[in-house]
Amino acid sequence: MDFSYRIRLFIVLFAIGVLAGGGFLFKELLLPDSYGLYGPYRGDAIAEAALVPIRHGTNMSCFKCHPHEAKIHKNGRHQTISCEFCHGTYADHITDGKKIGTLPVKKEKEITTLCLRCHNNEIKARHEEVIKTIAMPNHLKDQNVKVTHNCNQCHQVHAPLKYIIRAKQITGLMEAEL
Amino acid sequence: MKILDPSPKINRRSFVKKVLNGTIAGSLYLVWPMGGSSLETPEEIPGIKGKAYDIHSQEFVFIVDITRCIGCGSCCVADKREYNVPDGNYRTWVERYVKGFSDEIYVDSPHGGLDGYQHPRTDIDEKIRDTFFVPKLCNMCREAPCVQVCPVGATFISPDGFVLVDEKRCVGCAYCIQACPYSARFLNPVTKVAEKCTWCYHRVRKGLLPACVEVCPTGARKFGSMKDETSEVYKILKGPGVLTVLKKEMGTFPALYYEGARREVI
Repeated sequence: MDFSYRIRLFIVLFAIGVLAGGGFLFKELLLPDSYGLYGPYRGDAIAEAALVPIRHGTNMSCFKCHPHEAKIHKNGRHQTISCEFCHGTYADHITDGKKIGTLPVKKEKEITTLCLRCHNNEIKARHEEVIKTIAMPNHLKDQNVKVTHNCNQCHQVHAPLKYIIRAKQITGLMEAEL
Repeated sequence: MKILDPSPKINRRSFVKKVLNGTIAGSLYLVWPMGGSSLETPEEIPGIKGKAYDIHSQEFVFIVDITRCIGCGSCCVADKREYNVPDGNYRTWVERYVKGFSDEIYVDSPHGGLDGYQHPRTDIDEKIRDTFFVPKLCNMCREAPCVQVCPVGATFISPDGFVLVDEKRCVGCAYCIQACPYSARFLNPVTKVAEKCTWCYHRVRKGLLPACVEVCPTGARKFGSMKDETSEVYKILKGPGVLTVLKKEMGTFPALYYEGARREVI
């Protein structure tokens, strides 16, 4: 009787040991190191998510090396437009302080398509207080120019009213700035 | 008669010195950053850059002003470029809502709004009452259904309120894609793991605005910290304007608010 009691005690203790050891092994092998740092997930995943490389800069990053365009862009109606939307991302141009590629400049009909992305009057969802819209080709006819004209033949793309205002000043329709 | 030495007055030591100097200067010229220095990030979200980021005391809010959205698709383009999102999948997209006089709603989003909206809809017979654009992205629910259903703990809400995906733990079972009431998630065909908008967590941690907010020309997308009482989002949330969330009855408590959303927007 005494003997079987000891055996049973040993079995119980052994079972507890196996379960505890197995549990410990399970935790060590299967749970990632930073599990439970912030909650029931791998804590390091947050730091990894913060390390994704940045591809878009800001307009300030472009203006630093392109002062001529910066001066026009900052004073025009298009100042809120991001350089990178039309030209491509900063990361495709500069990486680690080195120029790695040339960004495209839109040409001819591409420009008109790009302009109409925002300025098309036919989409009746663009409010006058947010954006000035026009209908094509009515706008070209109203202005007495050829219907084959591209937008950038009258409008400076970075400051759309730059030439228009200048022309009005020269012809005396508008008072020149002092 | 003295024979003139044609070689310049140079000994071996000074020659080696000069060659070495030239080599070092030349290699420095190649490696030294000039002109376009590495990306210097301006401070767009105050209080993050150059300071210790306290992950437990942050709260961010995203506001979309529907009345200012012109459907240009800049945000979609920026988003695709920032993450190289595979074709056919969208982390953010812009929907066009057309409302007829019979109260019928027509919603379309060709190519996720990536090419913009160049043409009006021609397939609607009735007279159109109203047209507007609704940008969509991850709602960053405070009670996120996607987090609840993830069987491996790969999706979680970080202490600063972002719902993120752990790419290394995700097994691609797509439960979260079914659970998301806003259809913000997709299975990346390249990496085979669930992916979604992160509100550009990597940019926010460096004090930059999310890429879509950065490029929005009309200011329809606004992002900021609620801990900063001077931020635009704080003022809007404190102010009297009507703000709504999508699918409120789902009880997800999104941190993404819509300004000027019609009741038809879902």
